[in-house]
Formats: sequence, C-alpha cells, structure tokens
Amino acid sequence: MFERFTQDARAVVKAAEAQAAQLGSPTIEAEHLLLALADREAVIGVDREEVLKALEAERDRSLAAVGIAVPDFDLPPAAVTRPRFAASSKLALERALRAAVARSDRRLAGGHILLGVLAAEAGTVPRALALAGVDRDDLRARTQVALGG
Amino acid sequence: MIDLEAPRDPADGLAAVVALRRLADQLEDVEVARALGDGWTWSLVAEALGVTRQAVHKKHAKRLKARG
Repeated sequence: MFERFTQDARAVVKAAEAQAAQLGSPTIEAEHLLLALADREAVIGVDREEVLKALEAERDRSLAAVGIAVPDFDLPPAAVTRPRFAASSKLALERALRAAVARSDRRLAGGHILLGVLAAEAGTVPRALALAGVDRDDLRARTQVALGG
Repeated sequence: MIDLEAPRDPADGLAAVVALRRLADQLEDVEVARALGDGWTWSLVAEALGVTRQAVHKKHAKRLKARG
C-alpha cells in the first residue's frame, strides 16, 4: 500500500506511530494520524494540543454518558512496545489512497491522509473535531485546495 | 451501583463502548502488572480474568518485560 506514498506521507504515518506510543495506545488509530497531521499541517487550524484536548473531552463525555467519571481512575499510560495499525487508521489510509485516485494524483501526500481521516462520518475523530469547533466539510474543502491541481 | 442507563443517541452509546474498551484495557495493564508484582502466577492471573494463560501471557509478557 505504501509504495505510492511521498516522503511527507511516510513521515506522517511514522509520526502517528510515535503519537500512539507516546500516549500509551497499543494500536495506531485514526486519531493518531490526526494528531500527527495537526503537529505539522497549518491547514487544520488547530494544533496538536487542541486536538489532544478535544480527544480527552470526547472520551470524558462518552464515559459520562454511561455514568463513569474518568477522575475515578488513576491510570498511568501503558508502556507500549510497538503499536499496531488498527481498523480505523487502515481505513483512513485506504480512503487517502481513494482520495488521491479521485483527484488523479499519482502520489499520496500528507494532505491526502488528512482527507482520508476526515472522511470518517462516525467515531472518535469526527466527534473530537466537532468538540474542537472544527468544520469538517470546510476543512476538507481547504485541504483539497491546499493539495492544488 | 453504576447507573447504566443507555444513552439515547446511538452515536453516544457506541462512543461509550469505545471509551469503555480503552479504559478496560488500561485497567487490565495496571492490574496484571500489580498481580504479577505481588507474586501471582500467570495461570492465576489468567484464571482471575477468565481467559487462557496463553492469552494473558501473549498480551502482557512482552510489554511487562520491556518495562522491566
């Protein structure tokens, strides 16, 4: 899958793995791709810290919906050896490839990965972006423009 | 008792499932490490978790070894 990836896109994937490991996640999820992108893509409009805060708020709200308060738990981040790609990040990368094909781009760049991540209609990423006040459709449109062509 | 009234919006309910799974995984990491530190055997930990010894060993041995 990775042979069409630019250096830039490969760096994003590698950075996503580092984000997952840093946060103690045994899996690389779509939100780790988003965190990696937010760390470098000015086009998103929110930085990594803001995305991280939104992800925490999303988790707290989701747990609160079933009557669980996170401060009840004092859990250290797990020591992760090597995070694996989970279904959500694989799907985001597949969608990134599809976005590149749809644009007739021969190479896949970081912007395509952002499009792939933003394509999710449900789940952690769209919920966290909504909490961060990010308009997904608007961000998608801006990303398309930033990719040029 | 925890009030487990289901959230009305399925999106909230499904997001709660995701968050609960992550929380359970984190809690498992901590508690398995603690049990082993207290001298529990892998077999006893597995029995307490209701999984096979192979399953618990596969999931945690490498991680705990890496941590030292």
